[in-house]
Amino acid sequence: MSRRSGIVMALVFAFSVVGLDWSLGVAPDPYRSPDPMAYGSKSGASGAICTFAPGAEQ
Amino acid sequence: MVIRTLLITGLLLTLAVSAGVRFSLLLALGLLIGFSLERFGFGFAGPWRRLIRERNAQGFVAQLVAIGLTAVAIQPIIAFAPGTLIGAIAPVSLTMVAAAFVFGLSMQMILGCGSGTLVNAGSGNAIALTALPLFCIGSFLGTLLVPFAIEATPHIPISLTESFGVGGGVTVTLFGLVGVGFLASWYSAGSLWNKKLLIAGVILSALAILHVLVAGQPWGVVYGLGLWVAKAAQGFGWDAASAQFWIHPINAQALQSSILTDTTSLTSLGLIGGAALAAWKDSSVQPFKQPIAAWYFAVAALFGLLLGISSRLAFGCNVGALFSGIASGSLHGWLWLIAGFAGSIVGVKWRDQLWRRASEGLS
Repeated sequence: MSRRSGIVMALVFAFSVVGLDWSLGVAPDPYRSPDPMAYGSKSGASGAICTFAPGAEQ
Repeated sequence: MVIRTLLITGLLLTLAVSAGVRFSLLLALGLLIGFSLERFGFGFAGPWRRLIRERNAQGFVAQLVAIGLTAVAIQPIIAFAPGTLIGAIAPVSLTMVAAAFVFGLSMQMILGCGSGTLVNAGSGNAIALTALPLFCIGSFLGTLLVPFAIEATPHIPISLTESFGVGGGVTVTLFGLVGVGFLASWYSAGSLWNKKLLIAGVILSALAILHVLVAGQPWGVVYGLGLWVAKAAQGFGWDAASAQFWIHPINAQALQSSILTDTTSLTSLGLIGGAALAAWKDSSVQPFKQPIAAWYFAVAALFGLLLGISSRLAFGCNVGALFSGIASGSLHGWLWLIAGFAGSIVGVKWRDQLWRRASEGLS
């Protein structure tokens, strides 16, 4: 078995995550999409970020 | 190569049409970051390991250069767009420091940090592929523990930009990075500069700055991984309303939306795809399984789980907390660096011992 099998597994994992989400959740709505770039627009960051600490003083 | 380019272009155009241009740009940035990290051999766990074991500071210095360049750009950009752009500012606390120590240890055990595990998995590494699903589960479990940690110990966010102003924040950050660089040069046994790694650092910095401009927030990894498992858990009947972390409007919104509109999910998926693209050509002649005992994969799974839990309690991994935190002027990024490096010293020793046992009689 070559390392390419591992790459295929990783890609299957990534597409499975998207597929599972699509089957369970809501499909994206392009009409509600933010501006292409946050910089210079009014639609800024989503706020869903690794450093987000709900409950702590922000 | 032409087929791969057409496939990627088609994927990005489909995402732009079905979700929005911003999300397509974020996936493209993730792909470019993953491709660059894999192609240039740039990472975080590996350079720290080489610094600890071989006194080779080249990769570590390239990291400092990348963080410094990013800081010079993003601290002013974020400060002049309040409410629109946000920095990676997180609280400092005892649990945060302890978790960063555990993360540093764990990333040495599987030789993969937050970004490294995704890139290694994308390039077909068996240990990273074993650790990745547990990393995601751990990230979710960490979200359930975060509220208890915040209640148990004081959590105080400290932003250098707010404390010293934009110029002061950038200056303190750069002085700090130069100071750490001097320490590394004192400990190093050879040249500090490696042209290939420095080029990779500059590219990574440019992509991280672009990430802030497009997403409005710095690059992160682990939030998305926890979100994937939270969504799957909901599918199995888990009630998100029972978790304090997930009832916050920002997280509740992320749970209700497609992951194709979640910033960290897109860049993390892009990291896997970009690394796969970079590694594809030579992968057919490289062995999949490393010559080690099967039990080491259980070790990798365990430390993958710890990687996820600790990264949530530390408010980010080497990317969200160390790279983006320091670049944003967050004090927690500096504490993460110290605690994570201390954990890595222990992790390098443990990993060497276990790897030797796992390799005995098999190589």
